[in-house]
Amino acid sequence: MKRKLGIYIHIPFCVRKCRYCGFYSKSCVDDGEHRKYVKTLIDDIESKGSELSGKYSVDTIFIGGGTPSVMDGPLTGEIVRALRRSFDVEDDAEITIETNPKTLDEEKLMEYREAGINRLSIGCQSLDDEVLGTLGRIHSADDFRETFALARRMGFDNINIDLMFAVPGHTMEKWDETLTEAIALRPEHISFYSLQIEEGTPFYDMFKKGEIEQVPDEIDRQMYHHAIARFREAGYEHYEISNCALPGRQCRHNLKYWSMEEYLGLGDGASSFIGGVRYANHPLREYHKNNFRDDTTEFVWTGLRKTVGVSFDEFRKRFGLEFWMVFEDCREELQEFFDSGRLIEENGRLRLSEEGMDVSNQIMSVFV
Amino acid sequence: MDYQTLIRNFSIIAHIDHGKSTLADRIIENTGLVAHRDMKEQFLDNMDLERERGITIKLQTTRLVYKGKDGNEYIFNLIDTPGHVDFNYEVSRSLAACEGAVLVVDCTQGVEAQTMANVYLALDEDLEILPCLNKIDLASARPDETKDEIEEMIGIEAHDAPLVSAKEGTGIPELLEAIVARIPAPKGDEDGPLKALIFDSIYDNYKGVVIFVRIFDGSVKVGDEILLMNTKKIYDVTEVGVMAPGHVPTRYLRAGEVGYICASIKQVKDARVGDTVTLAERPAKEMLPGYKKVQPMVYCGIYPAEGEKYDGVKDALEKLQVNDAAFLFEPETSTALGYGFRCGFLGLLHMEIIVERLEREFDLAVITTSPSVVYKVVMADGTIQMIQNPTNLPAPADIDHIEEPIVKADIMIPKDYVGAIMELCQNRRGKMLHMEYITETRVQLHYELPLNEVIYDFFDALKSKTRGYGSLDYEFIRYEKSNLVKLDVLLNKELVDAFSMIVHESEAYARGRFVCEKLKDIIPMHQFEVPIQAAIGQKVIARETVKAYRKDVIAKCYGGDISRKKKLLEKQKEGKKRMRQFGTVEVPQEAFTAVLKYDENK
Repeated sequence: MKRKLGIYIHIPFCVRKCRYCGFYSKSCVDDGEHRKYVKTLIDDIESKGSELSGKYSVDTIFIGGGTPSVMDGPLTGEIVRALRRSFDVEDDAEITIETNPKTLDEEKLMEYREAGINRLSIGCQSLDDEVLGTLGRIHSADDFRETFALARRMGFDNINIDLMFAVPGHTMEKWDETLTEAIALRPEHISFYSLQIEEGTPFYDMFKKGEIEQVPDEIDRQMYHHAIARFREAGYEHYEISNCALPGRQCRHNLKYWSMEEYLGLGDGASSFIGGVRYANHPLREYHKNNFRDDTTEFVWTGLRKTVGVSFDEFRKRFGLEFWMVFEDCREELQEFFDSGRLIEENGRLRLSEEGMDVSNQIMSVFV
Repeated sequence: MDYQTLIRNFSIIAHIDHGKSTLADRIIENTGLVAHRDMKEQFLDNMDLERERGITIKLQTTRLVYKGKDGNEYIFNLIDTPGHVDFNYEVSRSLAACEGAVLVVDCTQGVEAQTMANVYLALDEDLEILPCLNKIDLASARPDETKDEIEEMIGIEAHDAPLVSAKEGTGIPELLEAIVARIPAPKGDEDGPLKALIFDSIYDNYKGVVIFVRIFDGSVKVGDEILLMNTKKIYDVTEVGVMAPGHVPTRYLRAGEVGYICASIKQVKDARVGDTVTLAERPAKEMLPGYKKVQPMVYCGIYPAEGEKYDGVKDALEKLQVNDAAFLFEPETSTALGYGFRCGFLGLLHMEIIVERLEREFDLAVITTSPSVVYKVVMADGTIQMIQNPTNLPAPADIDHIEEPIVKADIMIPKDYVGAIMELCQNRRGKMLHMEYITETRVQLHYELPLNEVIYDFFDALKSKTRGYGSLDYEFIRYEKSNLVKLDVLLNKELVDAFSMIVHESEAYARGRFVCEKLKDIIPMHQFEVPIQAAIGQKVIARETVKAYRKDVIAKCYGGDISRKKKLLEKQKEGKKRMRQFGTVEVPQEAFTAVLKYDENK
């Protein structure tokens, strides 16, 4: 019986970097460079495939970036086809690609469908042009609306949109308006994040100079909880700190990250967790073989990101030990969080309440 | 020829980095360790001193032999002075053992603050000062200006001061000749009753306490019964010798010489610096002047930090005490901090040095509470309690009044700063006694000040307002009734006794506000709001609040983020370890030192 493996492909190219972006990517629309990169990528796919396809079957593929959709349609198709050739990709594998509204058109979407990509992630962030301007996005709200409609027409029935809140200048009203429209469009999946000001980004410099101010934590949290309420009201399940989905439409690939399941990262800057080893490709070049403590603690704190939390049964099955025996020493430190209702133990599971998610770091750090 | 005419006892004094150690090294290199006549009766057989030359001699009191131009072999006793000039007493006793001092001045820098402080001490001991200009090799050397500065500011002749480069080794022979020519020889009475000055002492595991002495009159040998005149204790001499370097036993030590005595003395505090050594059966008529019984003036609590063992701290304190007669400690407990020690020091600097040694030499993490003086509490029923620990202050209802220690402070400053320093002393509840001009430019102020105004940062304020040129000496004179109150700190409504302090009523508000503000910045956010209050009894006099944290979450955590986020969580966890729990509030260890530095611009 083969083990399951998720594959992550990183495409480090964009039209232009957004002001807040701290990801590994650069502005590059040169087809020649894209091709060069894809060639190396495919070489990697082939060599890794021959190494791993005997042991693993691939049930999820995620093409992320940067802006994967900045590349030529057929070129993208080559990547997916290479994966199918070299790996044992399951028939109903979830295959996602991240896209920017400005870089999609009918032709490209057609290519995607033909290559077998069945899930689309569209970076929307906001349906307010002013906010989009502040963020330095290359598209307008209308661009997004058109693209979304197009994707539906082209038959994509598993779409995620990314939304961003607590942007400088953001108000509760604007956020609520974006939420209303986003929900009305009924994407299968919504990811929502507050703006993080990362070092090395233009936003960071502006922030340091005092040109922009961070939205106060209180308002940030209000926006967060308000969004969850709206989503829930509309029939979405809030299943992870920053992710909601209609029933049955959770992102299978991302769930691997929070369930200590194996994944292989290909391409510059991609990370892997396979055979008990965490490593990252150039230029990050990290390598760490997990020991028992790493495995158990990571199981807990990544698992707590999911709303359902950590199952003691699963823990026992996986590690052969009782959860509270292993984490006996943590009980004392966790007591204040149990007392305040931020951490909940019930039905054989340990999970964070919605308020608990606000201060999840405080709780997770107990377990590292 | 009287042997004493061939002895020179001197010290090297200098501002930091002016080249004291390098010069000392050069002097040692250019001299020998053995004199011709040493091979005779005074020294024991089997000496092999020359091979000792290979050892790096780092500034210890050392006996050197210099063959002068006149063909005579001179004995140079180079007496080291302690590194901390602020420990005036020890420095002054080391200088009292000398007839002269070589004053090293970096002639690219000129005369600086600490130069002066050292010089004053030397002048107070009536030493002959031999100025010597160093770093003559550098392009920026200004020997003539430096000579002028010396003459103007110190008032001693410098026109024929030796010019040296300790680094290059130039000018050393001239310096050595100048030492012979200018520093007076000792003139003691070899046959008189023994009179020797203890200028240093250390504890040796095998020999017990070794005292370093300068013999003024008489002589001492193995088997003699010596009497320490101030502590009035008698000991049998087991060994005498010289430091050449390391201990080299001799048959006797006599007037004019510098050496060491071992006499099965058990503890350093029995052999006090400044005491006079004489013979029990033929004591000297008078003690040598300048002896001071040093008492701890400042106390604080030292507690093992979280994760540190009590015994480790105890061992370290015991070891430090072995060589430090002025450092005392005894066990005490605190509700907030558990089991620890109440420690006594000469002053704030002494305390800082001990704490730093605990941290660096012994690798211990400790928490120190506010330094405090000893208060005399007169109870309603007439009894008296001496209180050093603020938490032991009896209930106000039972107290008739409290008295605080008052010191007489002698402050020496350049005349330009008189106004500023008078203001400083006034702000510290000082009462001026009188003032005089020592020289045209140098003034001495005499003030009565409460000791608790002096121990915190008075010295730092003095130094900073006089650009380093000010010096301070103080001694306890009496207890005086005062309006003192106990200032408490409450965190989340609970009293944390480790922060309690006794302050004068007039300062309670300012101090209370300061502590609250400092703690507000240092105490991290909790799940709930943390009120910080300063109170006198039931009355809250200052208040700050640490807001509750609302958000501490990683929004995105996908494949590539896991390793990075893990590091972040680990860092958070580390940060928590440095916290100390007081009731419901976590306080970082830095909080205790932060509230000590009361640095308003008074």
